[in-house]
Amino acid sequence: MLSLRFAVPTANTLIPTKTKPKSGLVVQTGWKQTGLSSSPPKRYDYKLQAATTDITDGRASVEDKEVELPAGLSRELMPKHVAVIMDGNGRWARQRELPTSAGHEAGVKSLREMVELCGQWGIQVLTVFAFSSENWIRPKVEVNFLLSLFERALKSEMESFGRSGIRISVIGDSSKLPASLLSLINEVEETTKNNTRLQLIVAVSYSGKYDVIQACRSIAERVKDGQIQLEDIDEGLIEQELETNCTEYPYPDLLIRTSGELRVSNFLLWQLAYTELFFTQELWPDFGKEDFVEALSSYQQRQRRYGGRHS
Amino acid sequence: MDFSRQKRKLQFWTDKIGNILLRLSWHLVHAVIYLCYFTMGMVHALESHLISRGLLRKYKSLYISKINYLAIVIESEDACRTSNVIQLLQWVVALGINHICLYDNEGILKKSKDLILDKFDGVILFQDTQEDNMLLDQPCMTLEFVSYSDGKEAVARAANVLLKEYIKSGATGSNQGEQIFSESQMSEALKTVGSGGPEPDLILIYGPARCHLGFPAWRMRYTEIQHMGPLKSMKYGSLIKAIYRFTTVQQNYGK
Repeated sequence: MLSLRFAVPTANTLIPTKTKPKSGLVVQTGWKQTGLSSSPPKRYDYKLQAATTDITDGRASVEDKEVELPAGLSRELMPKHVAVIMDGNGRWARQRELPTSAGHEAGVKSLREMVELCGQWGIQVLTVFAFSSENWIRPKVEVNFLLSLFERALKSEMESFGRSGIRISVIGDSSKLPASLLSLINEVEETTKNNTRLQLIVAVSYSGKYDVIQACRSIAERVKDGQIQLEDIDEGLIEQELETNCTEYPYPDLLIRTSGELRVSNFLLWQLAYTELFFTQELWPDFGKEDFVEALSSYQQRQRRYGGRHS
Repeated sequence: MDFSRQKRKLQFWTDKIGNILLRLSWHLVHAVIYLCYFTMGMVHALESHLISRGLLRKYKSLYISKINYLAIVIESEDACRTSNVIQLLQWVVALGINHICLYDNEGILKKSKDLILDKFDGVILFQDTQEDNMLLDQPCMTLEFVSYSDGKEAVARAANVLLKEYIKSGATGSNQGEQIFSESQMSEALKTVGSGGPEPDLILIYGPARCHLGFPAWRMRYTEIQHMGPLKSMKYGSLIKAIYRFTTVQQNYGK
């Protein structure tokens, strides 16, 4: 097997898009899960075998067979936690003279593909920035559509999460979410809490600064209750109280942001200290397997020191 | 017998030629890819040279006033290259950017602070007691030196400040908790503990990895982040290109 290593040019901070915006449109309303087995594109030399699911005693377990990775990727160097800012749905729709809602629905399709790939390639945690606290200022129609799209997707995919071994966690300020969505979130989190193949963390109404503030507030309550002393407060304690404490791997190894913007926009501010940042011009509905492989290749080739030095 | 010997001989030579062809293919593919990346490197270097000479019209006039505050993150191993750091700062100042924050994870730049400040006339060391808007109105150059201790550790210290206030107020209800633990209060508390600089508009990262190495998270909510490569390979043209790219960006802030 060819194994190529070469210096990756870093003069450009953006990875230029290799394909033109796709003309034509394939929009699927809702999120239909057709099963895990599908015919792989011929350009990838990998064998995909269907995962089988056994449900015993209310626990879903997935027996995975070995899935060969695309050429150039190494399973040992796969990031444990990937975070994604799914940007560009609106622009994608405008390019095609479609309503914004069509862009968001196409974005859901991209997310579904990414979740499948993460599960197959051994990524443990995928965190997606679905809705920022700043997004509340968008037109009410769009906000309502986004929340209802999220609710529909959760309802339709609940069963398949179990089959696929996906655990769902939702982080963010839930105080502004509709009651029906809140109750559905609780139900899905409870139903999938024992799944272990992949943890999908959806950030809804999330703000990185808010995350830090609510951690401090929680700590204050614990001090008031006498659980901890004032002197015990350090960055480790704050980290324990952040919303990403729902996972074993709270710090993303790789952050992908689509649509060409080069910023994190108040997403996981605390957690991104040593995260590899990958910015791509592709709009989120166009972000597919090839682009994900490119991001992972870029991650695997980097020399990461996490603040230390080479010995 | 002769036939089987001939057959073995033929097999031997076929395998040998096959191996040679495989090796040649291997080296050819390597050579092609190396050439591609070499060419890309040459193109980048040429573009950078043309930009520095002012030969590319697009980069001749930069809307510099869009950058109120620039942060430069340097990987700690590169931070020891003080001459490179000074050169970079001189380029930045020459472009008209006067308010700069220098960050490295281990605080090596803080130790070289005096050496760096000596190279610039009239430079003011950033004082946290100043209001951000007063700082940015200063016509002269200001330099801020920041390290990891000004990030997460500072937030922990600021959290302690807020907590003491919370306890002192005898707060019992959640409303009072929300008033004390708010984003604006945290920003004030960070200033109190000496780590309350302004949010940079742009961060330039000099290092092998495309990550900000623990730059104070509280200050980079909407900050544009551009990776520039290792400090030893820094180019004036690349700097201009990065700044130009920033000046063309439009932020929606969630809208």
